[in-house]
Formats: sequence, C-alpha cells, structure tokens
Amino acid sequence: MSTVLSPALRRDLGLVGSQIRYEQRAYWRNRGRGIFTFALPLMFLVIFGALDKGNTISTRGGIPYDDFFVPGILAYGVIATTLVNLAISTAILRDEGILKRMQGTPLPRWAYVAARIGSTLLIVGGITVVTLGLGAIAYGVDIPASTFPALIVTLALGTAAFTTLGIGVTRFMPNAEAAPVIINLIILPLTFISSIWFPTDGMPKGLAHIADVFPVKALADGLQTALDPRTVGSGFVAHDLATLAIWTVAGVYLMLRFLRRPLGETA
Amino acid sequence: MRKSYGDVEAIRGVSFEVARGEVFCLLGPNGAGKTTTVEILEGYRLRSAGGVRVLGYDPAAGEREMREAVGIVLQQCGVQQDLTVRELVEMYGRYHEHGLPPDEVIGLVELTEKRDVRAKNLSGGQRRRLDLALALVGDPELIFLDEPTTGFDPAARRQAWSTIKSLCELGKTIFLTTHFMDEAQALADRVAVMRGGEIIAAGGPDEIGGRNLRPAEIRFALPANWSLGDIPDVPSVGREVQADRVTVFTREPVIAAHELTTWALYHDVELAHFSVTQPTLEDIYLELTGSGDQHDMSIEEVVR
Repeated sequence: MSTVLSPALRRDLGLVGSQIRYEQRAYWRNRGRGIFTFALPLMFLVIFGALDKGNTISTRGGIPYDDFFVPGILAYGVIATTLVNLAISTAILRDEGILKRMQGTPLPRWAYVAARIGSTLLIVGGITVVTLGLGAIAYGVDIPASTFPALIVTLALGTAAFTTLGIGVTRFMPNAEAAPVIINLIILPLTFISSIWFPTDGMPKGLAHIADVFPVKALADGLQTALDPRTVGSGFVAHDLATLAIWTVAGVYLMLRFLRRPLGETA
Repeated sequence: MRKSYGDVEAIRGVSFEVARGEVFCLLGPNGAGKTTTVEILEGYRLRSAGGVRVLGYDPAAGEREMREAVGIVLQQCGVQQDLTVRELVEMYGRYHEHGLPPDEVIGLVELTEKRDVRAKNLSGGQRRRLDLALALVGDPELIFLDEPTTGFDPAARRQAWSTIKSLCELGKTIFLTTHFMDEAQALADRVAVMRGGEIIAAGGPDEIGGRNLRPAEIRFALPANWSLGDIPDVPSVGREVQADRVTVFTREPVIAAHELTTWALYHDVELAHFSVTQPTLEDIYLELTGSGDQHDMSIEEVVR
C-alpha cells in the first residue's frame, strides 16, 4: 500500500493523523463541549431508562421500551457528536480566526478538514460503543448478528450525513454564540417528532411528513429496526438509507461550498 | 494593485517593492488600507486589479510553497484555546517541511516558563508572543507582522523589538504594519505612508517626506526680563514664539546652538528647556496624513 502513495501524499496523510490527535486532545479538554455533545445523550439514556423501566410499547408489538430507546439515543448521540458539535465548533473556529490562521499555513485545507472529520468519527465510535455497551449490559438490548451489517451501514450513512451537514451549516450560523441556539432549535423539535424519546407511531400526518423529510427520523428508525427483536432478515430499511444518502449529498455540497470561500473575505 | 468593494475603492493603486532582508514598514491611520494591502499580500483577500508577487509567488493562487516560506502574525487571530503553548508550536511546526525545533522557538519569544500553559490562560502579551512563535516555527523567509505590539506595555514592546531585530540579523525579510512611529523608527529600513488607499510617501525613516532636509529646531524658554530682540541673530530660517517658548528653525544647528549658549553664558541667563531636535518621524507622519482630519473614515466601516 505504502509503495502506491507518493512521499508527498504519505507525508500529508501523516499530518492528518497527527492533526487528529490534536483535535482529539482539544475536544476532550473542553469540558463544556464534551458534556454537551458526549455526556448529555448518555445522561438521557440513564434517565429515560429508569423512567420507563419494564415498560413495553404496544404500538410496536409489545417490545421492551429499552429495545426502542437505546437505538434512539444512539441516533441522538450521533447527531450530537457530529452535527451539533461540528456546527458549534466550526463557527467558533471561524469567528475566532482559527480557520484563517490555518489557511495561512502550508497544511492543505483538505488535510485539515479530513482531520476534523476523522476526529469526529472517533467520537462517534466512542458514543456508539458506550451506548450499545450500556444498552447491552444495563438494559438487556440484544444486538443480533443478522442485523449487525444494517446497524453499521445505517450508522455510517447517518454519520456521513450529519458530519458533512455539521460543517456545511456553519455558513448559516451568524456567529458562534448563536450557533448552539440555532442548531438546537432545529434538532430538538425534530427529535420529538422522530421517534427518539418515545414512539411517534400515531402522530398526525402533517408532522409525520415533516419528520420523514429530515434525516433524524431516518437514522433513528434505521437503528431501531436493526435492534428490534421482531425484525426478521437483514434489517436494512431502504427508504431510511435513501433519505440519509440524499442528505449526505446535500451535506457534502454545503460543506464544499463552505470550504471554498476565501476565509479572509468573510465579513 | 487595486482593491474595490462595489463602488468603494479601498486600495487605489498601490505600488512598492520590498528587498530581501529588508524591514519594510507600512504606516497609516486606521482605515488607510494597510490591513487590506497586507491581507492581499498574505493571500487572504483577492486584489481587484494589478499584479502582486511575494517571493515570486502570486498570493492569490494560494500555493503551498509560498505558505511554507511565509510567516504571518495577524492582527486579531485566535488559536486552539485548549492546547498548550508547547502543543501549539509543535502542531503548527509540523505543517512545515523544514520547521524549527519547537523549544527553540518558544525560547526565542521567551515563553519557556509558560510552555505547558493552555492558550486560554495566557495574558494578552503572552498570546501575542505565541502568535509570533507560531509564525516563526516554520522558519519563514518573509514574516508579516500586522501591528505586532498593539496593547503591549512599554517594556514588552522593547522586548518585542529586540526579538524582531534578532530576526533581521537572521536575514529574514519583515513586512511590518504599525501606527507607532517609534516602532517604525526603531525597526524599519524603509517606510511607506498610506492614506485613503494610496501610498503618499515612501523612503527611509530618516529621509521620508524630506525629513533630512528639514531645518533643525532649537527650543528654549525666553528668560524673564529679556525680549526676543535681545537674542543674538543666529543663522536660521525662521523663528516662532509661543508665550515664552521660542523655536528657532535652522540648517546650521551646531553653529546656532553654540552662539545661543555662548550668549546665555556671557549674560549669565538660564535658557530653560533648551533642546535641539530634528523633526521626528511622527511630525512628518502627522503632516503627511493630516492629523485630526476626520473625513477619511475607515473604508471597512463604510463597506460594512
């Protein structure tokens, strides 16, 4: 493999690797952001798990609430560590002039963005392992081998959509202070109509249509199907994956548009 | 080069050259176009017209080779707050193929004691020195310093100057913007004064605006019981009297001063506040830019 890559590219990939380590260090040292994006979903997991202990969901064939809620919280955790985290932190990087400073260095822009994404993927990996681990140990959630590929593919596509969107929506953030407010104003209501905290199976049609357009429901539903004990077969949900794929395309487009702007010209 | 925002011309045709190893200083009031000019050279802004070459590169192309060879200290620019001085210098150093050892750079800007402190816990002056370290760690040939000592106390400024001078001795080219005249005087080989998007004067700090051709000024307080007519007729090109303060403008300051002091000694009078000065860079600058002239408000403000 290494013989295929030019020395220059190999050096740049090494830079991506070392930059990921610096990004990780900065992320975990910033307690506020770590709590907001990593600890909060886990806190919800524990609270809702305790509140609904032993409950079942009648609209879903009486499956345990935990089997519904753990994948739902995983979806929320992915969104928090990608979209919410990236939109807020990128707005800060922009407003504080760090993006501008980075632009003045020889580090290629793609390498910096790759490192930001790579670091985000590590965090997503972390929240996935912790959520599913807690789910399995504390809430008896079973991860069947038959639907494991669907779980991973849904997670990967959801992560791709929300990561690219997270960087891409930065250009709609007027400033770093407004970013958390705006992002949560969009994401929180969506989680309530997207079967994250409770099933929204009997929801009014209008709301259901709204939820179907956005990727929050698609990610939650795909993960919930993969962990639903009633699921037979591989557990892939075509329309959820299609929704996430479309949003990934939109996310990549927005991200590239944001990154193409000459950073010094922003006002 | 030129730069316009819509109908507003921020840079109305600026032209200059900076030699390698030179300290070039751009002076001018706020809104004169200094920062716009520098940011075009740094590649942060695109010029509207004209040609620019920095170390042979067109900054608008954003080539990596140019960024390898250029160090930039921006006016206000954040860093990753949660990383330490050491981590940041090392991180930015990695981006360069031939960077300097981080500890050496940290020593150069005298932050060794703060090397394990996170950026967010540094004082303003320490942050500015960190900025300089991050610009130097790539061992650049050319360094842009945009108002590097704004907000420094006098001692810190002297310290920063000596750091900058030591960079000159290493053969670095330095492009400095400042609105401190003493800074330009102390550091620059050549200065250019901008106003309203144009360079209105350029030259060595001692010659700019015909400074070296100006008469020297001898000042003293007229002693009580003596009138101006009693003062000997020393070689001069003019005199000015404000209350009891006399200013004699002369092209022969040595002779004039000698005659004045001889007269004073002979008559046993004290010439209080006696001084001989050449016009300072600041005097020339204020003349050139028209001090207190408010009409030329910040172009940036007009645009926003």
